[in-house]
Amino acid sequence: MIWRYILKRILWMIPFMFGVSVVSFLLIQAPPGDFLTTYIAKLGESNELLDQATIDNLRARFGLDQPLYVQYFKWVGNVLQGDFGMSFEWRQPVNELVWERMALTLLVSMATLLFTWAIAFPIGVYSAVHKYSIGDYIATTIGFIGLATPNFLLALVLMYIGVVYFGSDVGGLFSPEYQNAPWSWGKVVDLMNHLWLPMVVLGTSATASLIRIMRANLLDELHKPYVDTARAKGLSEFWLIMKYPVRVALNPFISTIGWVLPNLVSGAVITAIVLSLPLAGPLMLQALLSQDMYLAGAFVLLLSLLTVIGMLISDILLVLLDPRVRYD
Amino acid sequence: MKMLLRATLAGLTAAAVSPLVAMAQGQAPALAEMVAAGTLPPLEERLPTNPEVVAPIDSIGTYGGTIRRFLSGSNDHNSFLRFVGPQGLTRWQADFSEVIPNVAESWTTNEDSSEFTFKLREGMRWSDGEPFTADDIMFFVDDLLNNEEFYPTAPARFVVGGETMQAEKIDDVTVKLIFAAPYGTFLTELATPLAQEPVLWAKHYCQQFHPAYNADVQALVDASPAVEDWPSLFRLNCGEVEAPNRWSNADRPTLDPWVVTGEGYTAGSTLVMMERNPYFWKVDTEGNQLPYVDTLQWGVAQDAQAILLEAIAGNVDMQARRIASLANQPVLFENAEKAGYKLFQRTAADSNDMAIHFNHTHQDPEMRALLTNKDVRIALSIAIDRDEIIDIVYQGVGEPWQIGPLPQHSLYNEQLGRQHTEYDPDRANEILDAAGYDQRNGDGVRLFPSGEPIVFNVNYPGVETPQHGDTLEIIKDHWADIGIGLNATSVERSIYYARGEANEHDFMVWGAPGGLDPTLSPRDVLAVHPQASWFAIPWTRWYLSGGTEGIEPSESMKTRLALYDQFKAEADQEKALGLFRQIHQMAADEFEIIGITFRPSTYGVVNAKLRNVPEALPGSWMYPDPAPTLPWTYYYAE
Repeated sequence: MIWRYILKRILWMIPFMFGVSVVSFLLIQAPPGDFLTTYIAKLGESNELLDQATIDNLRARFGLDQPLYVQYFKWVGNVLQGDFGMSFEWRQPVNELVWERMALTLLVSMATLLFTWAIAFPIGVYSAVHKYSIGDYIATTIGFIGLATPNFLLALVLMYIGVVYFGSDVGGLFSPEYQNAPWSWGKVVDLMNHLWLPMVVLGTSATASLIRIMRANLLDELHKPYVDTARAKGLSEFWLIMKYPVRVALNPFISTIGWVLPNLVSGAVITAIVLSLPLAGPLMLQALLSQDMYLAGAFVLLLSLLTVIGMLISDILLVLLDPRVRYD
Repeated sequence: MKMLLRATLAGLTAAAVSPLVAMAQGQAPALAEMVAAGTLPPLEERLPTNPEVVAPIDSIGTYGGTIRRFLSGSNDHNSFLRFVGPQGLTRWQADFSEVIPNVAESWTTNEDSSEFTFKLREGMRWSDGEPFTADDIMFFVDDLLNNEEFYPTAPARFVVGGETMQAEKIDDVTVKLIFAAPYGTFLTELATPLAQEPVLWAKHYCQQFHPAYNADVQALVDASPAVEDWPSLFRLNCGEVEAPNRWSNADRPTLDPWVVTGEGYTAGSTLVMMERNPYFWKVDTEGNQLPYVDTLQWGVAQDAQAILLEAIAGNVDMQARRIASLANQPVLFENAEKAGYKLFQRTAADSNDMAIHFNHTHQDPEMRALLTNKDVRIALSIAIDRDEIIDIVYQGVGEPWQIGPLPQHSLYNEQLGRQHTEYDPDRANEILDAAGYDQRNGDGVRLFPSGEPIVFNVNYPGVETPQHGDTLEIIKDHWADIGIGLNATSVERSIYYARGEANEHDFMVWGAPGGLDPTLSPRDVLAVHPQASWFAIPWTRWYLSGGTEGIEPSESMKTRLALYDQFKAEADQEKALGLFRQIHQMAADEFEIIGITFRPSTYGVVNAKLRNVPEALPGSWMYPDPAPTLPWTYYYAE
């Protein structure tokens, strides 16, 4: 039964991804002008100029002089063969540019997700069980501050503290000496030293909201008759809470898997720029700004695909975790 | 400072004075070790028999160290170009006064300036140790420039009279470049940043991507993802003169002082390292091989503010790009001592910080009649209190100014630069009344004959040039006094360019180039630039298409464009400058564009220990600073 469900979901992805490709193509093309007008404008900032013949050659080379539908089918045709084309701006194959960034993005996403869960779960349970205690108030206050503070501001504050009080180099994911080095144990350690900051910054607001959701859901469950029944049967308080109400309240945690990735790429762009993180977000933003069709399109497609897969995984996990969720 | 921007005679004199070099002396310790270990040929074999001898501006240097610079997130690849230098056949003298030999040892020109014979440096080598010869230039001309698959349209600088440049190999170190018609400005053109193509591509390496030399090139194309034809394969591996891919392939041989290592520069780069080229072909006056500094380290910051932060933390060794602005000046100055840097002046080569390009080809007939009326433009100009703008917006730095060559330049035209800059709103009102715009509406705004109020709607790219927004707000008040309305809105810069290209603007505001480089950047006195001669974009189309597209220009402009064509062909330096004087005089009489103030000089940072860096240098695209000041002679004092 569940296999049929998964198969059906996967088949539905095909028309969905097709729709995404059309919409993203049109949206990227929507602003006035094309890559070359932005390029000319960007060079114009430093008063750098190109002659008209060069511009005409580039426009012909990138196919920007052709009708929209021709450009679209050329793009999609190549994508179906696994070729995302040549980036206009970087004049390098998009495949190479994208995977490098996507790998680190996935890593940071996963680290952030784990961080969020590790913090939100115990605090959420605690503040629900000890409702209106001192601890609950403290957790709630911190939670609201975390929700209300924009990520990038938190990043700036932490960077300032890091630079001024600890004299540490806080930007980026690697120290200069490891940036271009091949992977080694030292580089992994260096990554871990840098990873905590984006993890905390990016995870804070998600943590805060998860704490609130966990608390609210658990509070709903705690006063249900089955809890009283279990307590009456003499189950220890810890096991009682863990085994029944927490399990029911856990659904939002699982649901987050689906959206943590798109959130990290699109929602955390400013944070990634502030922290100089070599993630997909800033590159995608640049590509969109410069109307670098193939590069931006590749990111949008991959993100949509990952989101859809993430959603599928979280749905499957929900089914496994909670028998009440039906899959047909 | 004498600014003669042409170079007909320079080659001849340079050939005469170029001294016989003292035997090659020193080299970097790391290279000496490699020579001792037998992994690198000795210095004499790496240098040409006649290397270029460069006199450092302060002192002979010592080897070692790293210069740290920063790139901003995207579209910043020209930062490399401007530091390792466009190593073209010719280059600028450091003071921007004339063109001198660079890759070429010397040259001769035929009588009518249509044939240029370049003598190359015998024994000169690419960065991989292979010889650099006339064949490399022939490869460019025969197999790339004149190949329609590679260049459907050849770059304008290599086309004269509709014919693309041809070349003839005399011997291994002599090559003749031939044009169909006189091209007096060619040697100057070769010193501009993007004219490096004749010596950009190493034949022995790049020919593997060319079908004339590699019959199996299609197999390579098929094997490379995203590559559709051999020109894109070629460009991916061998780079283009103006694209990031030029700095992404560490295997590509170059003539540059430093070469990229590892992955080079890609979209994913967070740090780009460049190492010395062991075959670099320049030496100091004691015969020590340049460059002095071992490595260049280029961090990649996501935006300009991050670069500023690195600069005031002392992590930038020599840079003006992206951080030299009036707004940043106080913070740079404040932190100089603490961070261990000095400031160097980047003298603006531009003429005006904000020129107002009235659209002479406006689509609305009434607006066009208004804007093409010279008296109206005079009224609009003298209604602006430039001193007030300079005080408020430019922190008091500047002087009322229109456009054209700066006073210290030999082509200075006082009328073009200073006419109608006096503040006289009363006379402006009289002029407008006399011009027939004497009807006003209830708000005191003058009316067109049709009864519509005269209100300009103007865009400016607020992110790039916020000062223009402030200035326009002040002008709005000034013009309200003479009954002219103005609405200024900030737009994203590609929208700004798109409006200009579509000829939808009342007027445009942008910096005016041509202060120290009037013959190289004449776009404000001649309708020649289809993206930036905003006062008449359709005129530029008319000119560039030979009269088949666009709108026919005014008589004055047509005469000027004809003079410009003569200028480009003229071999005689004095005659050529005379032609430009005529152009400037006619532009002054027409008064098409008005301006506000001189562009203030800005300041970049330089490590206090770095030597041979001038205290002031011209800043311009045509003089791609700081390369002409020879960064390969910079060195660290103990």
